[in-house]
Amino acid sequence: MLRFIIRRLLVTIPTILVVITITWGLIKLAPGNFYSGEKRLPPAIEKSIREKYGLDKPWYQQYGKTMWGIIRHGDFGTSLRFEGQSVNAIIRRSLPVSAAVGILAYLLALIVGITAGSIAALKQNSRWDYASMTLAMLGISVPNFVLGPILVLVFSLSLYWLPPSRWGGFPSRNLILPIITLSAIYMAYIARLARAGMLEVLRSDYIRTARAKGLSEKDVVIKHALRGGLMPVISYTGPALAFLLTGTVVVERIFALPGLGNYFIQASLNRDEPLIIGIVAFIAITLLLMNLLVDVAYAYLDPRVRY
Amino acid sequence: MSKRKQIGLLLLLATIAVAAISCSVASNKEPFFGKTVPPEQNIFRYVTGDEPESLDPVVSTGQPEARIYMALYDGLVEYHPKTMEPEPALAERWEANNDSSEFKFYLRHNGRWSNGDPINVHDFIYSLRRIVDKKTASRNAYLAYYIKYAQAYNEQKVFVRDPQTNQFLNAKDFDESTPPEPFGGSPLDAGKPEYTSKIDQAEHDTDFHTKLHTPLRLTLPGDEKARTKLLNADPKLKAAVTGKDLVPVQAEDIGVSAIDDYTLRISLVQPAPFFTGLLAHQSFRLVPKNVIEKYGSAWTQPQNIVTCGPFKVKTWRPYDKLVVERDPMYWDAATVKLDEIHFYPMSDNPTIMNLYKVGEIDAVLNHTVPNAWLEVVRTKQDYMDGAEAAINFLQINVTQPPMNDVRVRKAFNYAIDKDAWAKWRKIVKPLTAFTPEGIFQGYPQPKGDKFNPEEGRRLLGEAGYPVVKKADGSYSCPKFPVDQIEYIYNTQESNKAMAEWMQAQWKQNLGITVSLRNMEWKTFLNTRAKLEYKGFARGAWGADYMDPFTFLSLFYTGGESGTGWIDPKYVAMLDEANRMLDPKKRYELLARAEKYLLDAQPMIPIDTAAINWVKKPYVKGMYPNAGSLYPWKYVYIERDPAKWDYGIPSLTAD
Repeated sequence: MLRFIIRRLLVTIPTILVVITITWGLIKLAPGNFYSGEKRLPPAIEKSIREKYGLDKPWYQQYGKTMWGIIRHGDFGTSLRFEGQSVNAIIRRSLPVSAAVGILAYLLALIVGITAGSIAALKQNSRWDYASMTLAMLGISVPNFVLGPILVLVFSLSLYWLPPSRWGGFPSRNLILPIITLSAIYMAYIARLARAGMLEVLRSDYIRTARAKGLSEKDVVIKHALRGGLMPVISYTGPALAFLLTGTVVVERIFALPGLGNYFIQASLNRDEPLIIGIVAFIAITLLLMNLLVDVAYAYLDPRVRY
Repeated sequence: MSKRKQIGLLLLLATIAVAAISCSVASNKEPFFGKTVPPEQNIFRYVTGDEPESLDPVVSTGQPEARIYMALYDGLVEYHPKTMEPEPALAERWEANNDSSEFKFYLRHNGRWSNGDPINVHDFIYSLRRIVDKKTASRNAYLAYYIKYAQAYNEQKVFVRDPQTNQFLNAKDFDESTPPEPFGGSPLDAGKPEYTSKIDQAEHDTDFHTKLHTPLRLTLPGDEKARTKLLNADPKLKAAVTGKDLVPVQAEDIGVSAIDDYTLRISLVQPAPFFTGLLAHQSFRLVPKNVIEKYGSAWTQPQNIVTCGPFKVKTWRPYDKLVVERDPMYWDAATVKLDEIHFYPMSDNPTIMNLYKVGEIDAVLNHTVPNAWLEVVRTKQDYMDGAEAAINFLQINVTQPPMNDVRVRKAFNYAIDKDAWAKWRKIVKPLTAFTPEGIFQGYPQPKGDKFNPEEGRRLLGEAGYPVVKKADGSYSCPKFPVDQIEYIYNTQESNKAMAEWMQAQWKQNLGITVSLRNMEWKTFLNTRAKLEYKGFARGAWGADYMDPFTFLSLFYTGGESGTGWIDPKYVAMLDEANRMLDPKKRYELLARAEKYLLDAQPMIPIDTAAINWVKKPYVKGMYPNAGSLYPWKYVYIERDPAKWDYGIPSLTAD
């Protein structure tokens, strides 16, 4: 197991470097510059800016400098758009915001999703089943850029119950709407995954054995069925959590949250090369680690899986 | 689900939607948009736009940042809250020589930095030199090019000195297009003395003063390659330069000097009557030398920053909130009424308007009310309507056929009914000229061609693309190479609406369907700047200072306009106007140049922009001026509803 983890971690490093290289190349190919504006700059000023940020150097030198900083010091450099702010500091500052919203949203999604999915599976083809699956279908089909504004319209602008946007610290009432908006689609997926998983497990032999032993229905479901039935949910959790942790562009934008996702989209629009690379690398690392975590959890939950 | 049930569900959803809309319509009778409860504390909460690039005033070119800089930094002059004219700030008063090519500023003695240090003339000399320092790499450096040798210093040029005589070569000996010396050589205006100095004779004797009042020196590129190329192209120049010393232009050479600790002199390379107005611009504000030298680019971090404006930084959490608090050290602290201003960095208009409606912010930046909301919001008493010193227009790539034919360009202009456009857009004013309408008092703005589809069709025919009337009354122009033109714009709802509107006009009046292409912002800028588009590109420009020249200068050099149009005659006309001492005559000459530009039609003017923002009625001292820039020291929260603003506050100066 330990060898497996070490091996996987070692594979992660070249993967990240490849991701960074591709990102770097794509930015270089993108037209426009971080300094371009409505009025074109006089050539002399453009030249000074390019010299100041080392953009006048040949591409291999620029690439080398970027990679060296990352490999040697884990330093992604200074943002081009936000003068004097280091990329590492920006990530450190915005990550907790994204993570707080993301984790809470996923917890909510897990609780509601598993409960709804399990109930639907246990009472298959009942009114409960149809109701929860209809809601799940809605959750999957209504995108969060529709759901968010609807929630704001109802709870903020009409009822004046909750603030419509902005980060109010943690915890605060400002978090309620973004968390619900963000969790809806995950809730729906998890409910469907849990239902399918549970249905399969409930028909399996060991559940029949458990029932035959005379265990109460509660014990059967919670101790035996859930453990097997939630396998699909677990494998879904890795990538889902990675995306949630690293910020969700749309929700952070609708609710004006100072998270990583907001920075990411702005950095791309601003052609802020160091910031884009820093965030992409960070997302890649998180994604790879989460997948590793899922694989480990798999081995733990399912005795048949061994590495 | 059966068909019937599906329809039932749809109907149900529709009912909910209608109910939601009628809820918001029901609130239409309210006099204001949303809540009007003043904040409990003496704090003003404002959205000025997206996250500021930096708190360093030379960094950003944007208006959102300008408003933040106005809270944090003072300059020689400040914008008047209503008229935008320069009013005294750290300079108590000033005087200009009679051709507006040299200015003397008398600084107040009680100016202080937020750390308590006194402000004197040397702070200004440092700040002005810093804008054009190449190492600063400021995008706004070009605004300071009016200062003598500032451009040469910024571009790292060299003077040429004769080692024998120790004399510098003069520009006018080599370049005939060099404008006449503002205060040397020939008289500028017949019958008037060219320069009457009020400065004491003793001051004339300083080296610096002598230097600045010699004819403009010749400057050559500092870069050897560029210099060799230039010299090879001009044998006379090459012969003159051979064997001479090349002396780099230094910071000390630019036309800013201290007469004493509290008197600053700025010498310009050309007469610029608008120069004091320009000095209110963000990039000319005072920055602290010691702090910048100590911390480098980290000087703007909250723990390091030292400022000189009515407010100072309290806390700054990027993409969340910038809190500035009243600075007791500020020279005019007694006038400052607010305890704090909270700047919320946001860019999504509906999100901003939502916050405004629920009363979590007290005012929003200009252009914030979405088009679809105008119907409701502009009937409210807190809606700020008014003309902005900004224009929307279409740029034309004049380097490629068929748009290189002025008749074709004119035809497309004639075919747009701008009055109808303005009516549809509700808040903007139709524009036929290239300067915003009704902004510059006393400027005899020329009128461009009005909507005249008949004439447009005639011109197209004359250019070889006859427009034929079809049986159903519509037009078509079969010979016109529609694949050779397009209309590009950056992705945004309002730009799309405008593009489609223009497209429909041309289809209806000329029978030509122009294809539309939207692009991501930076891609769009790149495409337009490099003239990689055919036909039309969306354009917009807001005033850097309150003078028509800020618009007309867009076509002063070919590269900046994004159209490829450059005409030496136009440039000469602008130069001539700027040399004019009499402001009225200058305006007339500028207007003549503008007319010339309109006749050449390298662009199609569309409208004078509208400010389009909202503020709560209890926010006082904040006026809907044409530049959307507000001196924050006058802004306050009025708690007595009787004294609130019910409607748009007047812009007439008291």
